[in-house]
Amino acid sequence: MFAHNPYRPELATVKEVIQETQNIRTLRVVLDDEERMRQFTFRPGQVGQLSVFGVGESTFVINSPPSCREYLQFSVMRTGEVTQRIHQLSPGDQIGVRAPLGNGFSFEDLKGKDVLFVGGGIGMAPLRTLLLHMIDHRSDYGDIMIIYGARSPQDLCYRYEFDMWKGGNVNLVLTVDSEFPGWNGRVGFVPTVLTEEAPAAHNRVAIVCGPPIMIKFVLFNLKELGFQDDQILTTLEKRMKCGIGICGRCNIGTSYVCLDGPVFSVEQLKGMVPEL
Amino acid sequence: MEASATTRLHQEVEASIGRLSTVLGWGAGYDPLHMTPLFVRSPEDIARLVWNPLCVQNLTGYLVKSPGVQPPEEGKKIGICVRGCDSRSLVALIQEKLISRENLYIIGIPCRGTVDIRRLMNESGLSNIRSVRIEKDLLIVDDANGAHNLPLERFLARRCLRCRHPNPVIHDVLLDEPVTPRTTAEDAYRDVESLEAQSLDQRRAFWSVELDRCLRCYACRNACPLCICQNRCIAETRDPRWLTQRVNLPEKFLYHFIHALHLAGRCTECGECERVCPMEIPVTLIKEKLNQITRDLLHYEAGLDPEAVPPLLTFNPAEAGI
Amino acid sequence: MSKQVFIPRDSLNQALERLSSKMNVWVPAASGSNKCGSEFVPYRPDLIPLLNRQTTTPPKAVVFPQVETLLSYEYTKDPDNPSRVKIQLDDTSAGSPTLIFGARPCDARGFLLFDQVFTRGPFTDKYYRDRRENSYFATLVCLEWDSACFCSSVGSGPTDMEGSDLRVTPLKDGYLVEALNERAEPILSLMEGDVPTDAQQQDARKLQEEASRQRVGNVDLTRSATDFKGRFEDKAYWRAMVSQCLSCGVCTFVCPTCYCFSITDEMQGLKGERLRSWDSCMFFQYTLEASGHNPRPTRFERYRNRVGHKFSFIPEKYNGMIGCCGCGRCIRSCPVSIDIRRVVENLKENACVCA
Repeated sequence: MFAHNPYRPELATVKEVIQETQNIRTLRVVLDDEERMRQFTFRPGQVGQLSVFGVGESTFVINSPPSCREYLQFSVMRTGEVTQRIHQLSPGDQIGVRAPLGNGFSFEDLKGKDVLFVGGGIGMAPLRTLLLHMIDHRSDYGDIMIIYGARSPQDLCYRYEFDMWKGGNVNLVLTVDSEFPGWNGRVGFVPTVLTEEAPAAHNRVAIVCGPPIMIKFVLFNLKELGFQDDQILTTLEKRMKCGIGICGRCNIGTSYVCLDGPVFSVEQLKGMVPEL
Repeated sequence: MEASATTRLHQEVEASIGRLSTVLGWGAGYDPLHMTPLFVRSPEDIARLVWNPLCVQNLTGYLVKSPGVQPPEEGKKIGICVRGCDSRSLVALIQEKLISRENLYIIGIPCRGTVDIRRLMNESGLSNIRSVRIEKDLLIVDDANGAHNLPLERFLARRCLRCRHPNPVIHDVLLDEPVTPRTTAEDAYRDVESLEAQSLDQRRAFWSVELDRCLRCYACRNACPLCICQNRCIAETRDPRWLTQRVNLPEKFLYHFIHALHLAGRCTECGECERVCPMEIPVTLIKEKLNQITRDLLHYEAGLDPEAVPPLLTFNPAEAGI
Repeated sequence: MSKQVFIPRDSLNQALERLSSKMNVWVPAASGSNKCGSEFVPYRPDLIPLLNRQTTTPPKAVVFPQVETLLSYEYTKDPDNPSRVKIQLDDTSAGSPTLIFGARPCDARGFLLFDQVFTRGPFTDKYYRDRRENSYFATLVCLEWDSACFCSSVGSGPTDMEGSDLRVTPLKDGYLVEALNERAEPILSLMEGDVPTDAQQQDARKLQEEASRQRVGNVDLTRSATDFKGRFEDKAYWRAMVSQCLSCGVCTFVCPTCYCFSITDEMQGLKGERLRSWDSCMFFQYTLEASGHNPRPTRFERYRNRVGHKFSFIPEKYNGMIGCCGCGRCIRSCPVSIDIRRVVENLKENACVCA
């Protein structure tokens, strides 16, 4: 798609909208060009720029599994001008898509390993695509544990498919910040639950995504559990515009999050300037 | 004379630094003509303080713009060097409760005017300047072609030529004898008046040519000590979105007039907006017009009395004319 | 065919006139009456080219306009289903031949970095490429510099013709113009200058040699990448160096190598445009995230990034290339006279850092 003009979005149509939480919606979109849709491939963790023409563009991870050829899925938290408008879209509306962008997870390197997903709030979105890919290829991976937390039960995304995840032989640990009537999962912050669960670090890769404060403490606790820097992956967010490594703003030192990221290992991050 | 002003400044700061956490002043910049704001944080820095007609920056904005000068330590104050114009900015900031008088130690400097360095360079034909000395009313510049005696008066900034308050209106110490104002209140708005003597078409043409050069770099805004919205300026926000990123004339007009209107009755005419404009747009003129109206209609001059309430920051239903 | 011509001073306008009938011609000229500065403006017959000083703004906008349209779009009602709207996109772009006459080596050199960023990365920016391929630089041998200039400090110099197509050597009574590559030859013929005399050629050679021996800027800023990283977290250093910074965008807007941009949408009725506009890393909003988090919240982080980008990140990414052409505009136009040379020079670990 980018041979001609990487700034030109492809037109796509919203097929389905799922209200995940009070401020998160999931959009399933289909590229209008049927041939392109059929040929569209991406790696888990890669992102797309969604355009609402007249309002602007914003970056979201493609969180459908790569095996899914019917639609591309994006989960969008309402925070700014563009996301506000994306939340007003309904099936049949046209939008623009520039995808896939960014590096994605190098899931080939994860084969044969145990996996730990640690997600907070909307941070589950980039993990979901990799998780579903792993469930699709379950025998390639060892033990899979997910620790997923949110402020309240209503703030957990993808609740409707938790059973499906568990059916994929995945240990799903859910937690919310405080007690809620009817909640029988864990109560407590994600980093604390992580320490309590204490998954073995040996031959395991941890993939972390969530709010910066959660990431900070999760990384600390993972270290306590014996995880090495090259065993921890995270996906970063930055304000982006071009999405193709030109416009300048999403750099961390020499690296551009839009081009060289959004997936980085903690080891890579340590080699970069500390400016998150 | 000027050397001794700097010496007196050193003596003053040496005597008071024990009570001050930081002193804002000026120091030597990248060449002998350019001075740069200096943050004196320890006694060793004092020797680098300078006061001369090349000290052009208004330092008061540093007190309020984030991250501002560190808050004073317990029992200490922030020292700041002010000329007449700068002291009026302080008054305005005190009136608006953005800084408190008790936290400041104000070193007042009666000012005979500062140099428009750009004009000096352009008109004097100087090149590769080696040194600059100031003696009485002469700027003695040594450059590749030898020594030049340049009368200071010829190169004063426009803001200084129309200055009515060369002496700091508030201060804890005054560095020099007060000087006689250069202009009377009647004459202060002659630049605006001569522009207004032109026809509407001429004035529109004038502003179109001037504002068309605007880069929207926002130096005028950021150098203004009273432009305090800082990171929330409507020039850049998308919500509300009053301006686009286009660089056509209407956008530039709108930006400059919003800037000026936000300063109506507040602007103390320090002239920083005009001085810092890389494109030499006489933007202070817009604020001068508003101040002229404020003077004529509301009988108010900004930045003179810390106790006064600026007319547009108050509402009096009984006010004549409302 | 001769690859050099002499243009007598009083027929420069005629030569530019002939060129402007075939292509866009930009020349430095005064910014207006009573102004000290000059700018690159489109040539017009009554214009007096001002070739004896650096312009306030570089010719950056000629090849990379401050605002340009990346996309136009239009919503139309779907005749089959009036509650639906369809979107049409238009992303056409084109460059037309453009000559920048009277640039200085620093001005032309700025685009060498642009070329890397816009055309040599994994993605090509066709808007830039189309204009760049159609741009020609007739560059002066620079004989005028001041205390803010430092081109020699970043590996260039007053006779550096990298990135230029024609060399213009100002002589006593005119200009010796030489084509430096094949694409410049048609431009040279269009100028219809005189065949230079031996004396003129000798004078030009002498001037070029003299100028090439000049060192503009007395520090070497070409190897600062490692030093920068060492200072990255040294808060006291950045406080000492750039406490004065006002966080305005002057330094970036007048910089020939600053290319960072924003993209915004503007709508009127059912039509709209996606605009690309110059942005500035000095602005708070530049990196402000929707969550409210800002990785570069104050002028210290922002200025640090500007220095890092030019003297550490770019050299690391592009084989040692310095992201600065030493034109000195950021120093000259800075409202508070911050000297980037000093900031970079003092990155060295043992440098004395006074406030």
